[in-house]
Amino acid sequence: MSTPDSRQFGDLATQLVQESRRSTLTDTLLKYNDSLVRTVLREQRALEALITDAIAASPDQATFAPSLLLHQTALLRNKRCLLAYHAHRLDRLKDLYWTLGGALPALLSDAALRSRLAPAEVDFLRAYNTSLLELRGAFSAELDITAGITTPPRDLHVLVRVVRECGVVQTELGAIDFRRGQRFMVRRADVEHLIVQGYLDEV
Amino acid sequence: MPDFDAEPETPLQQLIRHWMNERHAPDILPWQGEVLDGLLNHINRQSTTVNLLRGDPDSSEDEHFRIVLAQTEIERVKFVVRSYIRTRLYKIEKYARYVARTPQIQERLSQAELQHAQTFAKLTEDHFSVSVLQALPEHQRSLEDASPFTPPMITEPDKSRAVFVHALNDCPAVRLPDGTTLEIKKGYIVLTPYAVVEELLAFGSVELV
Repeated sequence: MSTPDSRQFGDLATQLVQESRRSTLTDTLLKYNDSLVRTVLREQRALEALITDAIAASPDQATFAPSLLLHQTALLRNKRCLLAYHAHRLDRLKDLYWTLGGALPALLSDAALRSRLAPAEVDFLRAYNTSLLELRGAFSAELDITAGITTPPRDLHVLVRVVRECGVVQTELGAIDFRRGQRFMVRRADVEHLIVQGYLDEV
Repeated sequence: MPDFDAEPETPLQQLIRHWMNERHAPDILPWQGEVLDGLLNHINRQSTTVNLLRGDPDSSEDEHFRIVLAQTEIERVKFVVRSYIRTRLYKIEKYARYVARTPQIQERLSQAELQHAQTFAKLTEDHFSVSVLQALPEHQRSLEDASPFTPPMITEPDKSRAVFVHALNDCPAVRLPDGTTLEIKKGYIVLTPYAVVEELLAFGSVELV
């Protein structure tokens, strides 16, 4: 690690982007790096002050110190890195949301995940969910657009094992009380969302 | 329209063609509301019939077999519809801020999709604003910086991406980026930038594979 003295403008922002990269490579959502974001934001203000001083120091407003260009570039770059970091996290959050079949309560009740999110990100997910509910409403009569799209259905029915209890569910065969450890042969469309959310396991 | 000699496309074949096009095109294609509504209505009617027959004790063994086939087919059609909608949704969210600013592209979206695109564009902008921009000095808060050597802040579809094109009938010559022209004959498959065949695709002369 470089000491603060030898640190260049933009080093910290690079760390942020590297964190996004690591997150993609390991396919995990890392904890929101609040302190690093704050530090970069502080650097932004320091750069801003340097630029303001440089402009004030040049009397005729035509000949600026060459360092001005450097600071300006660093400033713009930092901003893009900050935005990229946040945009990348939003993408990952959306991925998580969809892998759970749009079950927001299940997503937010996961304490380990929750601790990795910034408060603003939780707000984002809630608002995103609300907007999608409206879109889903447009098709609700015929189909659920949040169901899986990775493999086309082969069979109508599926044999499932109950991994976590999920209470009584209405199916084609009537109401079924899914108890842990039991196995059922049910219509795929009826329990698709339970499989996606990890209540049932396909056998 | 494609080939007049051949059998007309069934609604499902149309949907599958549009679904493939949508999955391969970098841009958002026009929403196929009519095809979709027709199919969904059909599914609805069929589900009702299936339920009636299932509940009827007089249905024969043979009919029960046909019911299972019909139900499986319904599930498979639903899968394609879902995938079609989700593919569009992915692109719409990716280009949400571009969509929100470009009336031409908005015409290609359904009402619900447009609503979602606009909400989503605003959501991301708000999120950036709360997490980053608020803490910056006033004049740095723009989300539309256009500085040299950096990519634009609004992601647009990359129309120069290469796509595989299958000609459904003989196509008029199209101009390639290097100035030469290309004539695609019926049944040919070529690899070209998307922008070259954009109009042929809209016209239905080609499909993406």
